[in-house]
Amino acid sequence: MGEWQRKHLLGLKDLSREEIEVILNSAQAFKEVSEREVKKVPALRGKTVVNLFFEPSTRTKTSFELAAKRLSADVVNFSSSGSSLFKGETILDTLKNIEAYSVDIFVLRHSVSGVAFYLSQRTTSSVVNAGDGQNEHPTQALLDMFTVREKLGSLENLKVAIIGDIYHSRVARSNIWGFSKFSSSVYVCAPKTLIPKYFDNLPCKITYSLKTALSQAQVVIMLRIQKERMKERFFSSQREYVKYYSLNEENLKFLPPEALVLHPGPVNWDIEIASSLKEKVSNLILEQVSNGLAVRMAVLYLLAEKRSYEVID
Amino acid sequence: MKLLIKQGVIVNPDFKKRADILIENSQISRIEENISEQGADKIISAEGKFIFPGFIDLHTHLRTPGREDEEDLLSGSLSATKGGFTTLLSMPNTIPPIDNYEIALRIRKEAEKIGLVDIYPVGAITKNREGKEISEFGFLAEAGCLAVSDDGFPLKETSLLRRALEYAENFNLLVISHCEDLSLSGGGLIRESPLSAEWGIPSVPEISETVDLVRQIEVARYLNSRVHFAHISSKRSAELIKRAKEEGINITAETCPHYFTFSLKEIEESGFSPLYKVNPPLGREEDKLALKEALKEGVIDVIATDHAPHTYLEKEVDFKSAEFGMIGLEFALPLSLGLVREGFLSLEDLTCRLSYRPAQILNLKDRGYIKEGLRADLTIVDTEREQLITKENIFSKSKNTPLLGKVLKGEVVYTIYKGKIVYSSSR
Repeated sequence: MGEWQRKHLLGLKDLSREEIEVILNSAQAFKEVSEREVKKVPALRGKTVVNLFFEPSTRTKTSFELAAKRLSADVVNFSSSGSSLFKGETILDTLKNIEAYSVDIFVLRHSVSGVAFYLSQRTTSSVVNAGDGQNEHPTQALLDMFTVREKLGSLENLKVAIIGDIYHSRVARSNIWGFSKFSSSVYVCAPKTLIPKYFDNLPCKITYSLKTALSQAQVVIMLRIQKERMKERFFSSQREYVKYYSLNEENLKFLPPEALVLHPGPVNWDIEIASSLKEKVSNLILEQVSNGLAVRMAVLYLLAEKRSYEVID
Repeated sequence: MKLLIKQGVIVNPDFKKRADILIENSQISRIEENISEQGADKIISAEGKFIFPGFIDLHTHLRTPGREDEEDLLSGSLSATKGGFTTLLSMPNTIPPIDNYEIALRIRKEAEKIGLVDIYPVGAITKNREGKEISEFGFLAEAGCLAVSDDGFPLKETSLLRRALEYAENFNLLVISHCEDLSLSGGGLIRESPLSAEWGIPSVPEISETVDLVRQIEVARYLNSRVHFAHISSKRSAELIKRAKEEGINITAETCPHYFTFSLKEIEESGFSPLYKVNPPLGREEDKLALKEALKEGVIDVIATDHAPHTYLEKEVDFKSAEFGMIGLEFALPLSLGLVREGFLSLEDLTCRLSYRPAQILNLKDRGYIKEGLRADLTIVDTEREQLITKENIFSKSKNTPLLGKVLKGEVVYTIYKGKIVYSSSR
């Protein structure tokens, strides 16, 4: 098994298949910790993790906070919505100020693509990207992959379909990078307006037909669609979107029976997924949430370990 | 006062030659192979140096009035002299905008008092730059404006564009037009490209510039009016301009050093440094190449800087919050010399792009060329000297350039404005 060598986790684009496997294997061990009576391990005792969230988030922030606490790290939450400029402070100043408290790991969420990368080049702390604009959300994709590996036993040679608002989705991008490293073929499916021009430069196949996307897929990732996209003229009406791109009893028949349906949550029932399928798919979506905790513990652990080696060096 | 420049190489648009230049009373009085040093009050040895007609920048933002914390007329003038510019246009996106006689005159007078560079305020095409009513072009011209522009904004209403072109002709004003289809560009931060798709960055498609360009070319053709297009950034735009010029339509165009120096590649490699955020956004490598070709062929007439000073806080933020624009006055020469070294331009072409064509476009007959009787606006250049760009040696109030820490080749050693030495490199 390979070793973890990176200081930051910014995205899955740059990770090798082996590095992803290191994280998933480590997450497996941490999942077992969460099933124990005493759910806490001392792995990050004395380390400081700061959740730096410049965009509203409850789910991801809670997950990271709990992950850090179960590893015995000291955790601080810093939330600031709205422009940092408005407060007369640059985002770099904000980061440097908090860094002065000898922070080991920043967990960063920001509404602008590329900010995690930008800041990682300017800090001595480690940076975990918890979602940057529409770019990447690596831990979400890792927990999707963890869930799939656990259920199907392998990530190899799968057909993965990602359905919905590809244009605005960092989850889609991270999953495309992640699954494609395992020789799986990733199909993205949406109305053409919701797939950016030049998207064929990413390792995925583009289709506008839900049937093509679902046929023989072992994994389906449904993405959340926001109603504001109608005002922005990405599609015309809810009923039309539902007719062509919603997962329901009827088009479920294109899927092999063992196929997995994932959703990063929260689900808009009857928009992305028919509520009649709620019982069928809900358990797995909740399992994703608990797997997310294990994956985030693994990521924090690996980055902290890497930092300790560096100090010894 | 007699100033004698010895043994430099004069670079005109049509020839180069080694000669001495004698300056008397702010004019070039004699150009000869060898002028006696007797009677000269000051002698500059320009041995091994090149002498250009003073550079003319059709596109700067001196932020006056209203944002003197970013740049003022003095710091802007100093920055210009360091870059070798002796004439420049200052855009009206000020607070309040330069849309009336009083503000325009005040800028012209204050700049004259500073006396380091000829600053012509550009009048706003519409009152308050709102894109509704036309400003008082006649009064603006009387106050010293040579051009009008709603810089930063396109004239969305085509009927307004038409009237502005017609009305400007009345007063012999140049219309400088910004091409952008706001419904296509809205919210965009970088050019739509594989990079924007990969990183999910709100983007501006190439057609934002070209669709608007085509519209404006058509209006100019129909009216047989003249339009100058600001900061052209794409290969396709260059093709459209070339075609329009071949048809005899009366248009001219500029591009900026950043469009032929940087591309999406630098944005990616810098990890999305906001210092590369400009409007229109940087293009692909093929756009860069096409713009160099267009400058070579004269399809694009002018190199202008779009010098856009911003405070530290306005640029050292995330890519989305950051303002658009970078400073340019002090780097236009070395970056343009890059095109000479790469074989795209001759030194004569450089005179054309930085001095001669801008003077023609502004209809300034007393400058843009080096000959007896013209104004003594001269820029003496050492094309081989290297300079390290640091915050300390930038004269502009603002330091927003991705060139910090880089070494550029080619430096202005003297700037002479109306016969006076307004800048000499201290080294």
